[in-house]
Amino acid sequence: MTEDTAAAAVHGSAQGSAHTGREMRDRVQVSMPAESAYLSVLRTATAGLAARLDFTLDEIEDLRIAVDEACAMLLAQAIPGTSLECAFDLGTDEMTITVSVVAARPRLPARDTFAWTVLSALAGTVDSRVGPGDRVAIVLRKRREIPEATRSG
Amino acid sequence: MDLKLGHYNKDGIEVVDVEGEIDVYTAPRLRELLIDLVNKNNYQLVVNMEKVEFLDSTGLGVLVGGLKRVRAHDGSLDLVCTQERILKIFRITGLTKVFGIYATVDEAIAAKRAEK
Repeated sequence: MTEDTAAAAVHGSAQGSAHTGREMRDRVQVSMPAESAYLSVLRTATAGLAARLDFTLDEIEDLRIAVDEACAMLLAQAIPGTSLECAFDLGTDEMTITVSVVAARPRLPARDTFAWTVLSALAGTVDSRVGPGDRVAIVLRKRREIPEATRSG
Repeated sequence: MDLKLGHYNKDGIEVVDVEGEIDVYTAPRLRELLIDLVNKNNYQLVVNMEKVEFLDSTGLGVLVGGLKRVRAHDGSLDLVCTQERILKIFRITGLTKVFGIYATVDEAIAAKRAEK
């Protein structure tokens, strides 16, 4: 990790407080230069967090690719010298990943591309939005497969 | 891991060995190599992806670009890949119908020779 790369983890956000004490609701935020050279770092972080939630190896691989595709699409319109922001919201059985960049001319990613095809096939649900401050974001949400043996009760 | 590229000629067919991760950062190097090989009149290509650890749609785009280039010279670009996690990306995008995909380099070369 370089001086330009900062990572912060915030535990126990208010979202989880209304539920049982056992419910997991952690948020991990990663900020890194909006440069493709850093994507491998983000893929590794994604795999590590997904493994922490007991996602299967196949699901972890799917998430790694999905995050990579989302970031690659956003980097194409990111203003050079700015940051790519990635927030991982960790639920008990699902992970929500929000990646965003600031763009000079923000636009929603095209959906008729290989990249979107791969992204939407591998992530559970995908959405994109243009928000305040010319920030373009892609949100992925993937639920962990619950093993049959632990599903009842 | 970064991307390692190598290539050699076997029975008149250029075999490209790819090792490591193909993403938006590394894919341009593979693109340059494929363009360079075509510019040097190599139109029968086999890309060996057995040691590829990661492939995204940028990599797919580079392979499709290479295929278009060799087909413009009546050539072909086939792949060697048995890794399920890599094959999955080809299936999702429907590219298993576009590329010849073989289990070994020898199988890919034999298939090319049989086509001649």
